[in-house]
Amino acid sequence: MAGDLLNIGKTGLFAAQAGLATTGHNISNASVPGYSRQTIIQSTTMPQNMGYGFVGSGTQVTDIKRFSDAFLNTQVRSAQAASSALDTYGTQIGQIDNMLADSTSGLSPAMQDFFKSVQDVSAAAGSTPSRQAFLSSADALAARFQSMSGQLDDLRNGVNTQITTNVAEINSYASQIAQLNDQISNLSSSGHLPNDLVDARDQLVLELNKHVKATAVPGENNSLTVTIGSGQPLVVSNRAYQLQAVNSPTDPTRTVVAYVSGIHTTIMPDKVLSGGELGGLMDFRSTTLDGAQNALGRVAIGLAASFNGQQALGQTANGQMGGPLFASPKPVVLGNTNSISDPVSPTTLGVTIKDATQLTTSDYNVDYDAANGNFVVTRLSDKQKTALPAYTQPGPQSADVDGLTFTLGGNPMAGDSIGVRPTVNGASEFQLLTHDTAAIAAAAPVIMGVGAANKGNAKPSDAVVDSTFPGKVASFAPATLTYQVNTNELTGFTAGQVVTVKTAAGSTAYTAGTDTIPYVAGATYSFDGVSTSFSGQPIDGDSFTIKRTAPGGNDNRNMALMGQLQSAKLLDGGATTLQGAFAQMVSTVGNKAREVQVTGAAATTSLAQATASQQSVSGVNLDEEAASLLKYQQAYQAAGKVMQIASTLFDTLLSLGH
Amino acid sequence: MRISTSSLYATSTSQLGTLQSQLARTQMQLSTNKRMLAPSDDPIASARALEVTQSQSVNTQFTTNRANARSSLSQEEVSLSSVQSVIQDIQATAVAAGSGANTAADRATYANELQGRLDDLIALANSSDGNGGYLFSGYQSATPPFVKNGANVDYNGDDGQVNLQVAGARKLGTNDPGSAVFNGIPTANGTFATAANSANTGTGVISTGTVVDATALTGHKYSVDFAVSTAGATSYNITDNTTVPPTSVASNVDYVAGQAITVAGMQFDVKGTPGDGDQFTVQPSDRQSLFTTVSKLIDTLRAPVVTDKDKAALDKGLQDAIGNLGQGLDNVLAVRASVGTRLKELDTLDATGSDADLQYQTTLSGLQDLDIVKAISLFTQQTQSLQAAQKTFNSMSGLSLFNYIS
Repeated sequence: MAGDLLNIGKTGLFAAQAGLATTGHNISNASVPGYSRQTIIQSTTMPQNMGYGFVGSGTQVTDIKRFSDAFLNTQVRSAQAASSALDTYGTQIGQIDNMLADSTSGLSPAMQDFFKSVQDVSAAAGSTPSRQAFLSSADALAARFQSMSGQLDDLRNGVNTQITTNVAEINSYASQIAQLNDQISNLSSSGHLPNDLVDARDQLVLELNKHVKATAVPGENNSLTVTIGSGQPLVVSNRAYQLQAVNSPTDPTRTVVAYVSGIHTTIMPDKVLSGGELGGLMDFRSTTLDGAQNALGRVAIGLAASFNGQQALGQTANGQMGGPLFASPKPVVLGNTNSISDPVSPTTLGVTIKDATQLTTSDYNVDYDAANGNFVVTRLSDKQKTALPAYTQPGPQSADVDGLTFTLGGNPMAGDSIGVRPTVNGASEFQLLTHDTAAIAAAAPVIMGVGAANKGNAKPSDAVVDSTFPGKVASFAPATLTYQVNTNELTGFTAGQVVTVKTAAGSTAYTAGTDTIPYVAGATYSFDGVSTSFSGQPIDGDSFTIKRTAPGGNDNRNMALMGQLQSAKLLDGGATTLQGAFAQMVSTVGNKAREVQVTGAAATTSLAQATASQQSVSGVNLDEEAASLLKYQQAYQAAGKVMQIASTLFDTLLSLGH
Repeated sequence: MRISTSSLYATSTSQLGTLQSQLARTQMQLSTNKRMLAPSDDPIASARALEVTQSQSVNTQFTTNRANARSSLSQEEVSLSSVQSVIQDIQATAVAAGSGANTAADRATYANELQGRLDDLIALANSSDGNGGYLFSGYQSATPPFVKNGANVDYNGDDGQVNLQVAGARKLGTNDPGSAVFNGIPTANGTFATAANSANTGTGVISTGTVVDATALTGHKYSVDFAVSTAGATSYNITDNTTVPPTSVASNVDYVAGQAITVAGMQFDVKGTPGDGDQFTVQPSDRQSLFTTVSKLIDTLRAPVVTDKDKAALDKGLQDAIGNLGQGLDNVLAVRASVGTRLKELDTLDATGSDADLQYQTTLSGLQDLDIVKAISLFTQQTQSLQAAQKTFNSMSGLSLFNYIS
């Protein structure tokens, strides 16, 4: 009997020791990330049938239980992936947000200074200092465009580097998880899980979710199977698969993620990788960075195209027609994503800007539709598709979409797909082409004159040239128009030019060589790309001259038109000014930044809540452990007492023999 | 709910962090006096502020343009005022020179004086615009507009007028080409000129005439031809010589000395006794420059007066000159009035412009500026929250069962 009691006391002592050890373990690991509190599971040992009933034989520790809830753990992981993605997005977009916030260094002041200098040249077209100031502020504007684009490029390079770092981290986590899977499988053959290793593995999966959204499901032998993206396995049992950061084969400025399986490397589309830092970076790059750089580029292209257009209609201080002031940035055509395009005569695509006012801030994809034998241009911002007419080999075929001219050639194959980024380089390639003050075409090329001896009060309006004038400038000949009262006609139009007279009633074209053309006050006379009209009544013999403006001087007619470009609606098909387009970009970035801040805050809160729920199950509460400590201490003491009693009982028996 | 000790600390520290960053943000707002620290704080207002800033900058630019326009126009106004007084001097001289008591030597003196005035006038017509260019050469600011070429003064400028954008929808000329100020001034009465054929034998004199019906003017050349019948009756025909062939307007009208003759809205009369075959012409006024008018006057005064015909030519010359000078003065006054109107308009636009500027400033301030009182009150509130959080964290973290286990 006494031996039994001693045994019973011993089992109690051992159980209390295990309890104290586990409590101590809990206390020591209270602040280890991912640690789940443990407790001993005690049960009674097999009782003995003594004939009068079953007598207990003590206690035993059957298991060390780990408090962990798989559902809550999953919640924390996905909250972590969402929160990390938004945090990363927020950090990145915050840099653009801050760049645009600085009102002294943004695009706005440079653009305003530039237009101010346009007006200054307009006020004193003959003054070399004001022309010099115009060139300087145009240079400053170009520098501002380039520096803003440079900052965005820096962000892009930063994104590329971070993608590479993240991929390395993900690979490292994957192999650590695979290792733990292996160890846990080996150690759990006894039927008990190595709790601390399982905790470490869960923690690694959580860390992995900080980098990319990863799903973990239980596998065989207590392993975890981890998948990412659209179900690509990252860890299966003790085997880890690798990701690789590579330059995009179609766009060398982008680092993308490739999935390595055996000898095959497959590029993973950006949008597949959601969540975590990697997802945040991908999302930031495609949603905000590309859009911001395109929008900035479009402002630059719009400015360059409108100034060059107006400049071409004016006359420089040397009497030449104006040449382009700014370089015209070119669209970027990416590589064909189809790996099996025709090796001999692959599809070729050239893209030029035809009409800057029609440009959008979107990128495009040109795909070959083999079934219908035509190309389809897709605007990526809203997936708007424009089907081109059927393509005939070997081309070339030209088509205009959204202000762009697409020229296609070669032998297209099914699956051919070529990306186009029309405005991405607009800001970085924006630059002033001339530093010659005389090259500014401030003057209009043609001037009307009234004969000095004219007796009537007829006056010609200012001569306006249209876009066809530069092409006709070589053949332009000055003319003197003379009024004949008897026939009420003007004579003297240069032979060989068609004269169109437009009145309220309609327009009449007089074929080349018609010498006499009726005089109608208020009608517009157009010839050789020049238009003018007359007001008042001439008297017989009155004459009007049409000639090239003498070079030099204060003629500011063309410069005044350039000044008006500031408030002209030059973009979005004539709906937005240059400044308005920039404001749109600021507003888009600001809105997105705000959205990311708000959703980021929400994600942080939901992560905190999920973590709190998970911790309420798994976390160590030191007060609770203190209580357990006391509990097991007392249990130990009590078991000791039991053994002491057993010993006393034994002594009683021994004393009987004395 | 069970709370784990580590999450107790994690929650508290993250809460303290949030409070601190809120406080820092308010402090930043207060120190910059800006409501929006980045576009994300209020994307719509940020974009709007950019547009308003542009409008304000454009408005400021118009103010600068108006200042430039005002400076040019004031310069022109000063020059025109001098031109006006020189013309008035010349007019006075012309009148004085017309006195019958003048000897040839007197007239030579006047002619010399007028030569000086003519040089003054050319110098004024070549006035500088203050930027090293010429005021009256149209677009050709680098070219001296009026250059003496023998007896004539050539105009080397053009008809251009430099326009500056002085308001959103208003362009204003900041100069007037010399061709419109000094050249192309109609002679005679400003519309038509009457003249006697130099071969006339009679003593008929045609008056300068006036326009009685401006709508009837044709701009054609007419001639009035007199015939004296053997009976001694004088009659005249009027012919329109512009039409091909010439058409008769009136024929065999009996001549009454001094009776008004009206043709195509023009009225004049003939006095004296015209001879048979005498002809008078009525045609649109010629245009001549102010310089030609003065040069002709000088020539008239320098011409020797010996015969009666010379005397008549002198009188006619003086009379024409005085008339033409009057036309010239009228023209200069008209340009000056137009300059004055433009200057006045600039003043009005300035007032509108500064109103607009104030309006933009107010809008911008509403979009960007911080409500200081609100922000300070918020700052105080946030400071207190932070202090409370720090205190309670301190006392809460001191609570532990281990304090009681000994």
